[in-house]
Amino acid sequence: MKVTKEAVAGTLESSDLLVKVAPSDKGTRDIVIRSEVIKQFGKQIRHVVTDTLDKLSVSGGSIVIEDKGALDCVIRARVQAAVLRGCGSQDLDWGSLS
Amino acid sequence: MKLRRSMLFVPGDNAGMLSTSFVYKPDAVMFDLEDAVATREKDSARLMVYQALQHPAYRDIETVVRINGVNTEFWQKDLEAAIRGGVDVVRLPKTENAQEIHELEEHVAKIEKACGRPVGDTKLMAAIESASGVVNAVSIASASPRMTAIAIAGFDYLVDMHTRRSDGWEPELFYARAAVLHAARAAHIDAFDVVYGNVSDDEGFLREVRIAKNLGFNGKSLIHPKQIDLLHRAYLPTAEEVNHAKRVIAAAEEAHSKGLGVVSLDGKMVDPPVIEEAEMTLQLAAAA
Amino acid sequence: MNATGDFYTVQPKGAPPEMEAIRGLLAANDLELDSQVEVFVLRRQQGRIVACAGLDHYTIKCVAVADDFRGEALSLRLGSEVINLAAARGQFHLFLYSAPHNLPFFRGWGFYPVVEVPERVVLMENSPVAIERYCGSLRERRRPGTNIGGIVLNANPFTLGHRHLVEQAARVCDWLHVFVVKEDASMFSYVDRFSLVAAGVKHIHNLTLHPGSAYIISRATFPGYFLKEKAVIDHSWAAIDLLLFREYIAPALGITHRYVGTEPFDPVTKNYNAEMQHWLRHAASPAPPITVVEIPRAFIGGVPISATEVRRLLAQRDFERIAALVPATTLQLLETKFPAAVTTVQ
Repeated sequence: MKVTKEAVAGTLESSDLLVKVAPSDKGTRDIVIRSEVIKQFGKQIRHVVTDTLDKLSVSGGSIVIEDKGALDCVIRARVQAAVLRGCGSQDLDWGSLS
Repeated sequence: MKLRRSMLFVPGDNAGMLSTSFVYKPDAVMFDLEDAVATREKDSARLMVYQALQHPAYRDIETVVRINGVNTEFWQKDLEAAIRGGVDVVRLPKTENAQEIHELEEHVAKIEKACGRPVGDTKLMAAIESASGVVNAVSIASASPRMTAIAIAGFDYLVDMHTRRSDGWEPELFYARAAVLHAARAAHIDAFDVVYGNVSDDEGFLREVRIAKNLGFNGKSLIHPKQIDLLHRAYLPTAEEVNHAKRVIAAAEEAHSKGLGVVSLDGKMVDPPVIEEAEMTLQLAAAA
Repeated sequence: MNATGDFYTVQPKGAPPEMEAIRGLLAANDLELDSQVEVFVLRRQQGRIVACAGLDHYTIKCVAVADDFRGEALSLRLGSEVINLAAARGQFHLFLYSAPHNLPFFRGWGFYPVVEVPERVVLMENSPVAIERYCGSLRERRRPGTNIGGIVLNANPFTLGHRHLVEQAARVCDWLHVFVVKEDASMFSYVDRFSLVAAGVKHIHNLTLHPGSAYIISRATFPGYFLKEKAVIDHSWAAIDLLLFREYIAPALGITHRYVGTEPFDPVTKNYNAEMQHWLRHAASPAPPITVVEIPRAFIGGVPISATEVRRLLAQRDFERIAALVPATTLQLLETKFPAAVTTVQ
């Protein structure tokens, strides 16, 4: 899957996160994370994000995340939503989501 | 017997509530993909609910997902998310007739097969929100072996009836409540009462809870966690009721141990439904 | 249950009844209603408007929350609504202006400071990395030299006057970087303006032509430039645009000199040129000063060549007079896109 257009998912509210995706002109995958709890959970957040992208086979795209203390399941959901919106596809391969 | 006193509504798009609702220990949690979620957020909410359903904290609470109605473009995708996520019960809003339940269960079975879930595993509940729904409640309640509960949703129903809620014992809801209850009892499924929207009015809430309890509703749909404890306490049996229930159960056990086919207490016969009710009473008391 | 709760949107141009309440809420927060706002997100509670946020293309403006509703939750929901509204309108890279003391509020919205007019206003954008990435891409186009020039053109359309300016600058620089304003807010589209500039400077060899961006004379960095009512100059944030140039764009490309033509007609551009001396050269800033060079406008027959004049003549389809003011490539485009009226012979 490749991100072909800009998209956003999520909110700024507590326990949520805002995920913005955009096409990457270099064809690489680029993840930027900002979080109030970056020190304690930065690694974990990045791990969940990367894993979610891997499972969706996202090869290229720029992903910027503004985290407000979200649980892993919320991170997965919002990243998935943003990527699907950014790929313009609503055809979900459900096997790739867990 | 599953306790179903409280069914807490959680908007499927609300990360904060999805992350904390289980803390309040409702009997059931209903993730909403319908009215609480804006059209342009339906896709995102669906994924939120799919992920939340798999969170270990929700394993011990009965999970319900309110999908969008069968006349929308969303319901099939909602079902994929709900069933694959492992939901216990799918709630169909604005159920008008039994045909909608049939259409729903056909698609549910398809998805269960596709994802390896035992066919029949996912249960259904119908929300009655219109005059047609009320009138068809009996056939709706018995439309499928998957049917496990039926609820009345007050707001839309009253709009359909060209009226609104009044104070006191609310005659405008009486027939709908009675009809839905009868349909539930005839089909041996559970019945849920309407949402009480005024979160800051505890007295009004309890008044309504008493009405519902006296009518025989198993429980109520709630929109705020603080209503859970209030509701559970109202459903607590009295000491007298508990004692009577204990005696009924004791009589039943005695009869069973003696190999007797008939149970009697204080010279009167005790039918199986009465024993069941006594069991429920003790269960409610124990849940305190 | 209402899906979006008590948040909804209104468009000022439809003169909705909420405008008075919005004005009042803004005034209570020491803000004026910005006439450029296209749509407002509003929060209604207990029968009144308690929060508002406006969107002008991709700039968020007029954000206010009633005193008695200053909880964090409402502010974050308001921010989410505005950001999602902008996304629905196809805008993902967003900017806003914040008073310095409100910076933490907007950090909560995922906005990061870009440039600050000390103690007055901060330009923020909704990305921690966008400006840095932009500068990174500019750095790849650096050229060696001690005297590196920069010109920003709107070129609406490209005239002999513009060509004169570019030629004069290129003559005295080791390398010249030319930018074309990207907003589609002029008579000629960005695509047309850019291709006319490209054709018009092709013969200059020590020049790089850059596409415009949101960081160079855009609706975000210099909204005053795009106001229809050109009389409103006093609130022009030329400072923001110029500081951005000085602190980010110039260092990325090594620009030491900024070239402009003298501006006899347009008051906004005139004012901008005056502010250039202050912000690029004299104002205190972490970035080194840039020399501003005003090159006298090219004249023809005693009249300065200007794009404004070309547009005026175009309205009259006076291609003969236009031909004296523009290069052949520009004339060609004008004649193609704006054919003179043709009389048919019966």
